[in-house]
Amino acid sequence: MEFLKVNSVTKTFGGLYALKGVSFSISEGEIVSIIGPNGAGKTTLFNCINGILLFLEGEVLFEGRSLNGFKPHEIAELGIARTFQVTRLFGKMTILETMILGQHYHLRTGIWSALLRPRWVSVEEKEAREKGLNILALFGERLLPRINEFADTLSYANKRRLEIARALASEPKLLLLDEPTAGMNPHETEAIITLIKKIRDSGITVFIIEHDMKVIMGASDRIIVLDHGEKIAEGTPVQIQNDERVIQAYMGKRYHHAST
Amino acid sequence: MNLGSVIKKGIGWIIAHGLYILILGVFALLPFFLKNPYYIRILIFIGIYIILALSLNLINGYTGLLSIGHAAFYGIGAYSSALLTLRLGFPFLIALPASGMIAAIFGYLIGKPTLRLRGIFLTLCTLGFNIIFVLALVNWESLTRGPLGIAGIPLPKIFFHTFQRQEHYYYLIFFLVLFTVASIYQLIHSRFGNALLSIREEETAAEAVGVNTVHYKMAAFIISTFYAGIAGSFFAHYIRFISPDSFTFWESFTLLAMLAIGGQGNLVGPMIGAFLLIAIPEIFRFLADYRMIFYGLVLIFMMLFRREGLFRHRIYSLRIYPPWEKKEEAPQYLVRDKFLTDDPFKETTDGISKS
Repeated sequence: MEFLKVNSVTKTFGGLYALKGVSFSISEGEIVSIIGPNGAGKTTLFNCINGILLFLEGEVLFEGRSLNGFKPHEIAELGIARTFQVTRLFGKMTILETMILGQHYHLRTGIWSALLRPRWVSVEEKEAREKGLNILALFGERLLPRINEFADTLSYANKRRLEIARALASEPKLLLLDEPTAGMNPHETEAIITLIKKIRDSGITVFIIEHDMKVIMGASDRIIVLDHGEKIAEGTPVQIQNDERVIQAYMGKRYHHAST
Repeated sequence: MNLGSVIKKGIGWIIAHGLYILILGVFALLPFFLKNPYYIRILIFIGIYIILALSLNLINGYTGLLSIGHAAFYGIGAYSSALLTLRLGFPFLIALPASGMIAAIFGYLIGKPTLRLRGIFLTLCTLGFNIIFVLALVNWESLTRGPLGIAGIPLPKIFFHTFQRQEHYYYLIFFLVLFTVASIYQLIHSRFGNALLSIREEETAAEAVGVNTVHYKMAAFIISTFYAGIAGSFFAHYIRFISPDSFTFWESFTLLAMLAIGGQGNLVGPMIGAFLLIAIPEIFRFLADYRMIFYGLVLIFMMLFRREGLFRHRIYSLRIYPPWEKKEEAPQYLVRDKFLTDDPFKETTDGISKS
């Protein structure tokens, strides 16, 4: 049984094929990257796995269970968390609130317990708070001093960090990262690579969309290449670097000898 | 714990909540000093509108939806309370929550098909519902007596006490407002409220994190209509005459204007908005019909200079910190003791370990 199996998923927008029969699988504990030129369908693939987009053909299986027809929040409960390419943070919520919201489905407080506040509610809130702070501590002093500020006051890189932190708060089994290092300088990118490896070491499978070659080559165990909605290659970083079709997709046909 | 620390803690609590206690005390004692029933009547109306504005705030301010037909639920509460007491002889104490429930049932029926969709469907549907509701009231004469309205609604009676004087009503609405504020406060400062805020801010991300957005939007809508029904029930028993005119679209607009002026997404704004929009027309009564021009001007000014309303999205706290109590800050211990090393990511996986 594969951990995540994408089985010939086809997604069209009108007449345009965003994904054309894409199949691959990911096993537990891997770091897998997905690359491809702009418009190749990488984010669409994430949206299909995540349940935000519905697709007509194919199937996504997570731990042997088909995710077709599941709503995004149900998929999140199964243990798939994600970040977004264009950060989607809760602007007018504080960072700490965001972190507590990330644990939403692990917490039990409902309407009646919120109204009556039995003792376990405050215990639960305190625990959620501490867990949120512990995750924020992964980013050193970037986010911790700002926990009571609104998320929309953060800098671009910090917003990306908070998105990762929020995803981690839900204790996922599979983490989908959509360009986690966009807008970061080389030093910060380095830190994110370390972090991604740490996340994997703690038992979370990581699936990344990335443009930064340093991240892809440095962190990933396996790479999948998409072009025009089709999977054109799959393999280890070294295999991908030498793959004819990948070079063609990125550089064009005329220059494919340039790499040799 | 020794006696000294208990006393210190107690004094600290009183200082911290001093402003709340003061405000509560002033309003609790107001009828003893305000002998003119006209003023008390205005205060009672402010109370009714505070409940309505706070309930609408739950949908529009916290959940980020736009309901523009809230007066319909207010009307449902008023009519069901009137009919329950007049036709079926229910006591007030049962009719009050029952009319809230009936309004909530209608809220469920409106919300069920529209809240699954994003966008303006809820807005359109609530607008249409308000218009249809008023038309139904006017035309369903066997039940509602049409435009004649329902008169002679019995005085509210709780156990053996019958409400007759203005002060009695004042304390009833005072209690209802307290109940509304306290319960909405509890709801908002919890996992439930957190989920509502996340839907307002970024619905897609909220879903991806595991928030069942449809469920929460429904819950917020139903709870909100429940409060509107309660306010309607009180209104019916206070005025003792209700007609379709009181629940038209204009009423909904007044509620929206209260949120626009006071600000939404917090508890203070709607209360201030309700206060201003009820008190100002009374103060400027001498201007007669020009009042509406003033009303419009205020709205235009608000839109030009402070679009979020007087109070913005934020939690306003009147808490005062006594000198020996520190204001809550970022927990420095985490930064200093455990994690502040040269490598910010060194040995810090305990936060994400799967326990």
